[in-house]
Amino acid sequence: MKKNQIDRVWRWQITASAAAALLIACLLGVGFGPVNLNFGSIIRTLLGLPNGLENEDHTLLLELRLPRVVLGALVGAALATSGAVYQSVFRNPLADPYLLGVASGAGLGATIAITNGGGDLHALLPLFAFLGGVLAVAATFLVAGRLFADPSTLLLAGIAVGSFATAFQTYLQQRNSAALRPVYSWILGELTVANWDVVKWAGFYIFIALFVLIRISKVLDALMLSDEEAYSLGVSPQKIRLIAVAAATLATATAVSASGLIGFVGIVVPHLVRGLTKRATNRSLLSIAFVGAAFLVIADLGARTLLSPAELPIGVITAFVGAPFFLFVLRARNRGSQ
Amino acid sequence: MINLENLSVRFEDREVLQSINLEIPEGTWSCLVGPNGAGKTTLLRTMLGMQSYSGSIKYDGREIAKNKSLNIAFVPQRPSIPAAMSVAEYVMLGRAKLDGWGKESAHSRSIVHEMLEATQLLGMQSQLVNTLSGGEMQRVLIARALVQEPEVMLLDEPTSALDLHHQISVLNKVEEIKATGVTIISTMHDITLGAMYAERIIIMQSGRVLLDGESQSVIHSPELRSAFDDRISVHKLENGRPVIIAAKRAAGLDHGVI
Repeated sequence: MKKNQIDRVWRWQITASAAAALLIACLLGVGFGPVNLNFGSIIRTLLGLPNGLENEDHTLLLELRLPRVVLGALVGAALATSGAVYQSVFRNPLADPYLLGVASGAGLGATIAITNGGGDLHALLPLFAFLGGVLAVAATFLVAGRLFADPSTLLLAGIAVGSFATAFQTYLQQRNSAALRPVYSWILGELTVANWDVVKWAGFYIFIALFVLIRISKVLDALMLSDEEAYSLGVSPQKIRLIAVAAATLATATAVSASGLIGFVGIVVPHLVRGLTKRATNRSLLSIAFVGAAFLVIADLGARTLLSPAELPIGVITAFVGAPFFLFVLRARNRGSQ
Repeated sequence: MINLENLSVRFEDREVLQSINLEIPEGTWSCLVGPNGAGKTTLLRTMLGMQSYSGSIKYDGREIAKNKSLNIAFVPQRPSIPAAMSVAEYVMLGRAKLDGWGKESAHSRSIVHEMLEATQLLGMQSQLVNTLSGGEMQRVLIARALVQEPEVMLLDEPTSALDLHHQISVLNKVEEIKATGVTIISTMHDITLGAMYAERIIIMQSGRVLLDGESQSVIHSPELRSAFDDRISVHKLENGRPVIIAAKRAAGLDHGVI
């Protein structure tokens, strides 16, 4: 820090470190599993150089591990970024991506698919979950009365819509007890369905949403001020809030429909990044996306190796690792501010 | 010069500001006074350009609704305290419009340093805003508005959450800002304190301007008591300064009723 100047609010080196962490996580994610692959061979294969992986290992990397790692990274980035955005928009550190009824709506959509879907569940489930999530958020805005509703009205409307969807989902489950297990397993989250088709459509929507969110990330800081202060800085808080919520909802609904309900990423990762960098600015959004992606790739690695050959639901790992780590960061930060 | 002509604001079927006409010279401090619900905050929000209105609000001849580039700072009554944001980060937000969002020039970082020093916040720049006391937070809000280098500063009840000591230090700071040529418009509940600092008092009631003039003349005007339904009385201290208190307590004062 120069004399008579305050420190920079953000440094590009932080974003670069987060990107490096994601790269390392991805390498570990594709390298380790019931069969371990050589990192040098992985890199040669991915770059199309000679002496790469061959036969089963080649297929294992490109058709099984890689799409799973990429999907994990996409979902992690989507959930972490949406969580951070919701926390800014609602001025609430405990806000998570499932706040406006996305999770309950998607849960209801998935349950409808499972209880009435017949044989081809996997083809229908993501679509139903996506529609359920998006419709629930649309209903939340409808209940709140208007598009530019204030944050607390939206929050309460989200709770009401979420409760209604959960009640309806429970009713469907009780009527069809055979659906209990698959619904429960979906709720805990899974990346086992990953293939390049899922990666393509999920990636398309998640990239659009993240592009919008990162584009507006700098202006999002105005939402941390009162509406009047934001306006005095030339920002219309209501418009930014609406764009931010729409993009975060698209990202979350896509993530949920691709991988079920993976909890904790949306709360832990934004706080982790803010805690470690000691910065609250939304200019951290790209770093939050990278760290969220890395976090989920590593969590998935744990999910498929800890009880190998059986798999743990990924939501169990994210909470199991995330909760203590989160408490550690929170404690360290509180100690720092005293 | 700020000109308000026939300014009216409606919330659905209710007219919250009715035909307001004001002329506010540059570099002066005007204080809006009145009971809750009189329309003071709505007037400030409208002058910021946030509220749709009929009539006109002109800053040096430029209509606020058509000039988003006007540099008007706002200090809110209740801050929206962001999660774990440091004092420096919060104050730096005030430069966002001038630098372009996401950019921060060395000049801006110097200005923020300077304003933190001016508001006695230097040394606290790494502290989180949600750990500050009421007085410190108010100074942070003012510092954030100041780094905007505004032409006009609107302050909504800048002293309402403060004890007397901090009220005076905040008002002294605003007086220094005014001395640099910034036009100040504030709302305040305490007329006595308002009249001590602002050269002009504007009394509002039910969305209308009831009294408007130079502070001392407004405070001594017979209409002032009727504006407050005869629930106040004006007294003179030994140094000649007027003090306004609730009428019920008036009998206990030794200084004569004006």
